Amino acid sequence: MWNAVSFSRGLFGLRANPDYLSQVLKDLSLWDKRNNRIVTLSGGMKRRLMIAKALAHEPSILFLDEPTAGVDVELRKDMWEILRGLRAKGVTIILTTHYIEEAENLADRVCVINRGEILLVEEKTELMSKLGKKQMRLHLHDKLSEIPGTLSNYPLTLDADGRELVFTYDSQSEHAGIKALLDDLSASGVAFTDLSTNKSSLEEIFVDLVRR
Amino acid sequence: MSFNYRAIGAIFLFELSRSRRTLLQRLFSPVISTALYIIVFGAAVGSHIGDISGVQYGAYIVPGLVMLILLTQSVDHASFAIYFPRFTGTIYEILSAPVSYIELVIGYVGFAACKAVVLGLLILATAALFVPLRIAHPVWMLAFLALTAIAFSLLGFIIGLWADGFEKLQAIPTLVITPLTFLGGTFYSTSLLPPAWETVTRFNPIFYLISGLRWSFFEVADVGVGVSLSMTLLFLVLCLAVVWWMFKTGYRLKA
Repeated sequence: MWNAVSFSRGLFGLRANPDYLSQVLKDLSLWDKRNNRIVTLSGGMKRRLMIAKALAHEPSILFLDEPTAGVDVELRKDMWEILRGLRAKGVTIILTTHYIEEAENLADRVCVINRGEILLVEEKTELMSKLGKKQMRLHLHDKLSEIPGTLSNYPLTLDADGRELVFTYDSQSEHAGIKALLDDLSASGVAFTDLSTNKSSLEEIFVDLVRR
Repeated sequence: MSFNYRAIGAIFLFELSRSRRTLLQRLFSPVISTALYIIVFGAAVGSHIGDISGVQYGAYIVPGLVMLILLTQSVDHASFAIYFPRFTGTIYEILSAPVSYIELVIGYVGFAACKAVVLGLLILATAALFVPLRIAHPVWMLAFLALTAIAFSLLGFIIGLWADGFEKLQAIPTLVITPLTFLGGTFYSTSLLPPAWETVTRFNPIFYLISGLRWSFFEVADVGVGVSLSMTLLFLVLCLAVVWWMFKTGYRLKA
């Protein structure tokens, strides 16, 4: 394995640097296996070795094609840490993935490709606030069978057998109408015991985009 | 980009570590087979054969045996060295790295040729234990060894690029090179053959290599040393041209 990593570095015309290569192997938890032959490594180790080979020549741009596909959860989290570390050092990482969670976790910018066409390229936070929806859930004190007519102007749905009222709003608009809704609720005599909000994940946005 | 000599070094080191794994088998099998040839042909059979052109038969076959090992090892190592990365897919790392084709060829062919020359010298040392040897022109001997090793490592490289399976990889050395070496005068002077067959031998490129190397030992040869050298160089240039064409067209590399 050590030979393979040194070989990759040498091919790019770089001076031998055992300290750097040791650090790369240690970061990728491959140090113990440095003298093993590649055929003796497990699938996950081989994958990490590929990353080690890619890092051996200190690249400033790193292309990773589904690096965590078929990798166990723990290892995936480790790899994310490594990628964050590289990003912090200024390495530009272009990563393709089918796990939207991964993109949400790591990416600064997201590009969505569907059937070979780029649907969008956007800063992740911007994308999520622009295309994401927010929902507010009100846990009602008394069960409702239908939404009162006085609230018909709001995009409301009933959930959990009439025990929850769900308000979907656009997180972009400054005036989402939460206050007006809460006022109208108390005016209509609808009382609630609990309140929670959540916003859609990148995965939901992705599915939405691709289905369009 | 400037000449990437570190890449050549990396290829050399990688090939060296690959060879080290099979070092014993690689070193001992040629040495043992040479010792056997010399004992069987040189001592046992040779005692019933008179001297050829004033050279004792046991010594006469040594240049041919060195050539046999040199050719098979050059072709074997170089063909496998480039075929294996193609087979496993690691060739793409090499092709995507900033390594020119010239550097690539120097790395792979250079290592195979060096290794073959070292083995050839080892065979020579082994032979010296059994038969009295004198080398009339040591510099010419080294030159013939080096040129032949480079030419046949190039041939091996071509085979390694061309082969699309292990059978093909093995076929050329077994079906072409070994027979041509035996028929090229490893164990005999072609002047002992009937005239018709002697003419046929002239079309065997390996005949010129063996003859040239034998001249550097004993100043005895079937053809003039100038002819031997020219044919060796011609073969070298031919192989270089084929390699150049393969890289230029991306043959079997960028399919």
